[in-house]
Amino acid sequence: MSTTMAPVKARRSTTEKDKATPAWQKRLTSDRAARVAALLSFFVFWVLMSALFARVPGPVEVVQRLADEFSRGEVFGNFGLTLYRFGVGVALAAVVGIAIGVIMGLSQLGRAFFESPVLVALSIPAIIWSFLTVMWFGFGDLSPIITTFLTSVPFVIVNVAQGVRGVSRDLRDMSTTYKVPLSRRIKDLVLPAVTGYVAAGIRFAIIIGWNGVLLAEWFGGGGGVGYRARWWYDANRFGGFAAWVVLFVGFIVLLDRFVLDRAIRRAFRWRDASA
Amino acid sequence: MAVLTIKNLAKTFNVGTPKASRVLDDISFDVRGGTFVSIVGPSGCGKSTLLNIISGVEEHTSGDISLTSDAGGPARMGYVFQDPRLLPWRSVMKNMMYVQDDRSEATVSRAKKYLDMVGLAKNADFFPGQLSGGMQQRVGIARAFAVEPDLLLMDEPFSHLDAITARGLRAQLQDIWAQSKKTVVFVTHDVVEAVELSDRIIVLQPGGRIYEDITIDLPRPRRQTDPTVATLQAEVLGRLETMKAMSRTASAVA
Repeated sequence: MSTTMAPVKARRSTTEKDKATPAWQKRLTSDRAARVAALLSFFVFWVLMSALFARVPGPVEVVQRLADEFSRGEVFGNFGLTLYRFGVGVALAAVVGIAIGVIMGLSQLGRAFFESPVLVALSIPAIIWSFLTVMWFGFGDLSPIITTFLTSVPFVIVNVAQGVRGVSRDLRDMSTTYKVPLSRRIKDLVLPAVTGYVAAGIRFAIIIGWNGVLLAEWFGGGGGVGYRARWWYDANRFGGFAAWVVLFVGFIVLLDRFVLDRAIRRAFRWRDASA
Repeated sequence: MAVLTIKNLAKTFNVGTPKASRVLDDISFDVRGGTFVSIVGPSGCGKSTLLNIISGVEEHTSGDISLTSDAGGPARMGYVFQDPRLLPWRSVMKNMMYVQDDRSEATVSRAKKYLDMVGLAKNADFFPGQLSGGMQQRVGIARAFAVEPDLLLMDEPFSHLDAITARGLRAQLQDIWAQSKKTVVFVTHDVVEAVELSDRIIVLQPGGRIYEDITIDLPRPRRQTDPTVATLQAEVLGRLETMKAMSRTASAVA
């Protein structure tokens, strides 16, 4: 007895599926659409909160306060001052953090020496560092710079040390066999291998560091975004306070997106290379 | 003059613990300059450990090992591993230069010469990820020759490649070696490969002792299709089979 089988429908290729999907559907399901949706959700939530609670300033009020600050000539000077302090603090944290992280990753002795101080530093919040630095260094630039440095450097150290410990044993053995000098091993083997960890460490440093700089300016005075935010807070004008916070957070987001993200993609372009 | 001299060398892992295991025992041989010596033996007989000890990656438990250069100073070593071990984030040329002592023009042109010899001169600016496995291994071979080593160590460099690529690379290795006449210690479990490439084959037996030291006196270049090569390959394989049978009997009696 013979049986006949129904013809199996040919499966569509990815090119065919791609052609069959309308352009609007592709746009709606893209990463970009997800990011826009997140921003819109946050914005709607903010508008709702400001409509429900009088002490939550809405977007319109925040923009108005920001425009007022611009017209008073307060923005550029204070923002520039904070950026300078923040930049110096984070740069110091990156340099010192990478150096100590590499030592901790390469040397058992180095790890034993730095492990406890780094753990202690990790557990101290930015607010404590800001109090201490204001007491130690007064109301100048040094307090926010050192606070930024102290709050962010442990995160760079921990990330870099973890990355260095993960450097391929095979590549390290190859370098030993060929007697590659230590300086070249660090430059060509260790640092590129830990780029991802360094980038993660610096991202942490930026996110944690900006807390530090704003808190030190809040308590230490002497101008800057934190000082100006406190000025509005003391005046019981939350719109002005929120305007400064939005300005700085916006800057950090743009910095991450357009500078750090691109730098990381450039550093990892070798990963996209495939046979 | 002997480039490499090994006397009564032994290696025990986990010394002084209940897990102690001796992988090399009373190994003695020397390798004269300009010869190609293969070390063959079954898996676990200590071939790669011996190579790692010679290279300095691993320390030996007892015995002596000495390396001399023709110039009399410290010997320069090249190493071709089972896998290419290239820095994935550096171009082929930068990988070649990573292991060099200096960045002089002479060194750069030497690196280019060996890249050319393995047929990869046009790929100098490629990242390793843009090359096939066989091409990456050719970079590893060029890198090892380009350091102008007094002693070149090779640890089963073709074992991860398909048969056709491995055959092509063996022929290429013979050509480069014929031109450079470097001293080579080549570890392999493939007797056929060892006979094709070597002047001498040292057979290690389970337990890490030397079973036999065989001289291969055949004209070069050798090809597997050559009947004299095939005959000798069969003879050496036969001796290895005898060794394996004796090892099995010895362990059964024990």
